[in-house]
Amino acid sequence: MSVATDTGYTPPKRGSFLDALAPGGKRAFFLLSVLGVLLIFAFPVFWLVLTSMRPAWGVYYVHRGLEFTLGNYLEVLEQEVVVHAFFNSFVIATLSTFFSLTVTVTSGYMLSRFTGKLANAWFGTIYIFRTIPYITWVLPLYFVTQWWGIFDTYLGLLLPHIAVHICFFSWLMKGFFDGIDPSMESAALIDGCTRWGAFLRVALPSALPGIAALSILCWLWTWNEFLFALILTSHNTPMITVVMAQFVSELGTEWNLMSATAVMAMVPALIVAIFGQKYVVRGLKV
Amino acid sequence: MGTPGPDKAPGKPGKSFALRWLALNEKTRFSLLLLAPSGIMLILFQIVPILIGANASFRDWSLYDPQRTWVGLQHYIYILTDPNFLYLVLPNTLLLMVSSVSIGLVLGLALAHMLNKHFFGHAIVQTVILLPLMVAPVIASMMMRWIFNDQFGVVAAVIGALGFGQIAWLSDRWPSFAIIVFTDVWLWTPWFTILLLAGLRSLPKEPYEAAAIDAASKWRVFTHVTLPMMRPIMAVCIVIRSIDCFRTFDQVWVISGGGPARQTEVFSIYAYTEAFVYLNFGRGTAAAIIGAIIIGTLGWGLYKLLNRFMEVSR
Amino acid sequence: MLRKISLKRALTYLSVGCAALAVSLLSPAHAQVKELKVGYMKNPIQEASVDIMEKWAKKNGVKLVKIPMAYSIFQEKVTATLTSGNDQFDVIWHNDDWGQLWIKWLARMDDVKGMDRVSKHPLDAFYDEDGKVSAVPMAHTVGTFFYRTDLVKPEEVPTTWAELVSVSQRLQKEGKVKWGYVGGMAMNNTWFSLWWTMWGNKCDIFMPMWERDNKKLNAAGWKPALTEPCTKEYVEFWWDALYTHKISPEAMTSYTRDEANAIFMAGDAAFTLVDSTHFGDFNSPKKSRIAGKVAMAPQPMGPRGEKPFAWNEIWGWGIPKGVPADRQKLAKEMLGAMLTDMEGQKAMWDATGGPPPSMDAWDILSKDDKVFADLKNAVFDQNIGTHSAYYFPAWPAVHKAYSDVMIGALKGKREDIPKAMAAGMDAVHKAANGGQ
Repeated sequence: MSVATDTGYTPPKRGSFLDALAPGGKRAFFLLSVLGVLLIFAFPVFWLVLTSMRPAWGVYYVHRGLEFTLGNYLEVLEQEVVVHAFFNSFVIATLSTFFSLTVTVTSGYMLSRFTGKLANAWFGTIYIFRTIPYITWVLPLYFVTQWWGIFDTYLGLLLPHIAVHICFFSWLMKGFFDGIDPSMESAALIDGCTRWGAFLRVALPSALPGIAALSILCWLWTWNEFLFALILTSHNTPMITVVMAQFVSELGTEWNLMSATAVMAMVPALIVAIFGQKYVVRGLKV
Repeated sequence: MGTPGPDKAPGKPGKSFALRWLALNEKTRFSLLLLAPSGIMLILFQIVPILIGANASFRDWSLYDPQRTWVGLQHYIYILTDPNFLYLVLPNTLLLMVSSVSIGLVLGLALAHMLNKHFFGHAIVQTVILLPLMVAPVIASMMMRWIFNDQFGVVAAVIGALGFGQIAWLSDRWPSFAIIVFTDVWLWTPWFTILLLAGLRSLPKEPYEAAAIDAASKWRVFTHVTLPMMRPIMAVCIVIRSIDCFRTFDQVWVISGGGPARQTEVFSIYAYTEAFVYLNFGRGTAAAIIGAIIIGTLGWGLYKLLNRFMEVSR
Repeated sequence: MLRKISLKRALTYLSVGCAALAVSLLSPAHAQVKELKVGYMKNPIQEASVDIMEKWAKKNGVKLVKIPMAYSIFQEKVTATLTSGNDQFDVIWHNDDWGQLWIKWLARMDDVKGMDRVSKHPLDAFYDEDGKVSAVPMAHTVGTFFYRTDLVKPEEVPTTWAELVSVSQRLQKEGKVKWGYVGGMAMNNTWFSLWWTMWGNKCDIFMPMWERDNKKLNAAGWKPALTEPCTKEYVEFWWDALYTHKISPEAMTSYTRDEANAIFMAGDAAFTLVDSTHFGDFNSPKKSRIAGKVAMAPQPMGPRGEKPFAWNEIWGWGIPKGVPADRQKLAKEMLGAMLTDMEGQKAMWDATGGPPPSMDAWDILSKDDKVFADLKNAVFDQNIGTHSAYYFPAWPAVHKAYSDVMIGALKGKREDIPKAMAAGMDAVHKAANGGQ
């Protein structure tokens, strides 16, 4: 790193806006910007929650009137399919996160640590297939899952969900491993560790913050995924996003019920994010 | 790169599988094992369907009555000579991509940097920043559509209360484009934030200690220590995000539907309209593949450029 | 040893098999091997129609598998299923918009019981070249003009565009309501603004006007009517409504029926036009702030209109050709039972406001149901001179191209409307000819 070699050079102090502020002002500025960020990020969600608690006649004019109700939630929960859908979505999101990460952590490691034809070919493949829009393959996927007899089953939804993450995750995993010094693994190999041992005991722990971050993203992504769920399921495997999509009909949108379902769907997502981010924050340094 | 070969090797006929397997050197065997699971999944559930779809792009393949007769490059020529595609859809798409990715990256980097420190209420701030990821993009886009409605939207109510009168946000080109960009940034900044934060957390401490000895300014530490070390992750994030942003569908479809009068139409809406409104699946997939080629080339160039640029900036 | 195990296993299999056989023989479920799968859109009317069928199914020991689907992918998914010959559904929701798209893949329905007692005109979308029909009606979908009874007396309800403007402006000036008319205009909502005025002005999308015979339209070369004077009149009417008279919000060009209904139900508009089935929502205190203050009336006419225009289309049920003959027969039996179940159809009307498919039910309802009598007056007794769509595969493309031309014109200057129409001729014509 250049900075490390630049000994003896002291860069000139930059006269920035922040420096012009008194220490107290600086703190206030930081606080204000944090609050501003929070407001922008939270407001649409806050508004969604507020919407979901409005009676059906007030879901659009949310700011007009102060009547609030839990009726929308009760109406949604009256549908038997909702509980089933929550369960299914949870299972699929969790399994697909687990398997996506398992299969891509190895392929990302391979991309990071090996060079040569095989690595190049694999990298080229995942890059190229990442660029193809869903429109090309979702409909064929519908037929493919039917040919293999897994349409409208857990498997028929789970396997495509794993496949869809392979390109991106492999690449990102490569990025994580690229940021980790490989000399430790070489040392482990010299010490008599097998390649698998070096991978599992040395490289993998260092990449854990990244993997934790990815697992949050993957879980939330699958939980909120519409397209695959709509195309690849039918009445046997209701998913929560499909239940939501069904509130839109040719005659309009039942926004009160849709927003209530969306808010309910946020609760598991919130829990997963809070638990997951603990690992990102903690980070595991070697 | 039709049928990629990496994990086909072990399955080739001829000599027995076991013999071929043992003939490979130990390193190759290890790397094959590493990518076998993802390779198989990719072939079965992505490559095969994509090849089926790509096949349709060379055929007369209407959705309601597929004849499947070979028409060669006819669909591709149609799209590449469609002035709407070239002069309206592509510029819109690129503009959306550049604005959304750059704003998202800068914001994400700033937020990741902020979250990398410890301060009071850290956990709450981080959870709030992750909120957009917890709402399905379609729902979030609908929420945005209603929030920015000129009659009952809360933004219009606030602006009206301030005495600015009504703005027909969603029926004009640039306001609706701005709302699309805003929604996209809102949805994806957390994504940048959490990945970059993970990146920051995995960085080694030594270079920072060295910089502290040098008494380098914060900004200088950021540009000369943090950014170079974050290079691999940032390059991946930027390129992946650009690819995804290039094919943004939900937000645009829900918020403006590509309107008014195609003024905010982006590439994926174009392909979708061809395939599922005009019911010409062949032409829709051809459009999708043209888009893939464009973004694939752009993304690759960007990746190389980013790597070189950051190499220099060290 | 080996023999012992296999003997034991065989015994186990045998006993399990016997038990299973016994259970299946004893339980009444054995009779229920017959199963019918119904694919539909989740919507109260369709669910009510499925309920009528379920009544029959229960009585006849048939298991009805309900497969509700999201509207956003319904057409794509069912089209893909039909063309690939997959056995996903025995009965599917069928819509006039895609009547001709699926004609090749659906069974003919002429022999279904009760088909002689349905309105023939709305079935036009579903006929093949031999004059056989591919759908059984489920409910009628009709555009209906709604007004606020607390703002306008029945005799003051506008009957022409000019009156619509003057009444709206008066109400707005008196501060009684924010907007005069609000209706959907964005793509796929064109019926609720541009189109009702188009047909109400004796105008149409293609020449010759009001022709729906594809052969004749083909012979005429699918020539758009955009440059006709009647088109200019209704486009200028909307331009003025938005910018000159300001009886409708400027952003209405981007509204779907969601926005329009929200504004109307919040009490911010005096008039709207939307499917008759929304009448129930408008008058439900749970969903609307104007409950009890909404009534139906015939559509206001354009300068060329002589009698108020109305359209009358249906949602229907179809049976895929790929379904095995015995199940097709069973499904037809079920649809016939639905079509002749007067009590069920009346219940559907009462619960959802979906006008029932059978004329017999109409007779019963128009005698003792005031709302139905109103609807009949506002729609069914008016000039149903043509269909609210064209029935050929390129129709969605035409709709999209037309919508883009019109929204573009309405976002431009008033004096540029003729120019925009002339420029749009090519786009709409191309759309009708598969992009050529």
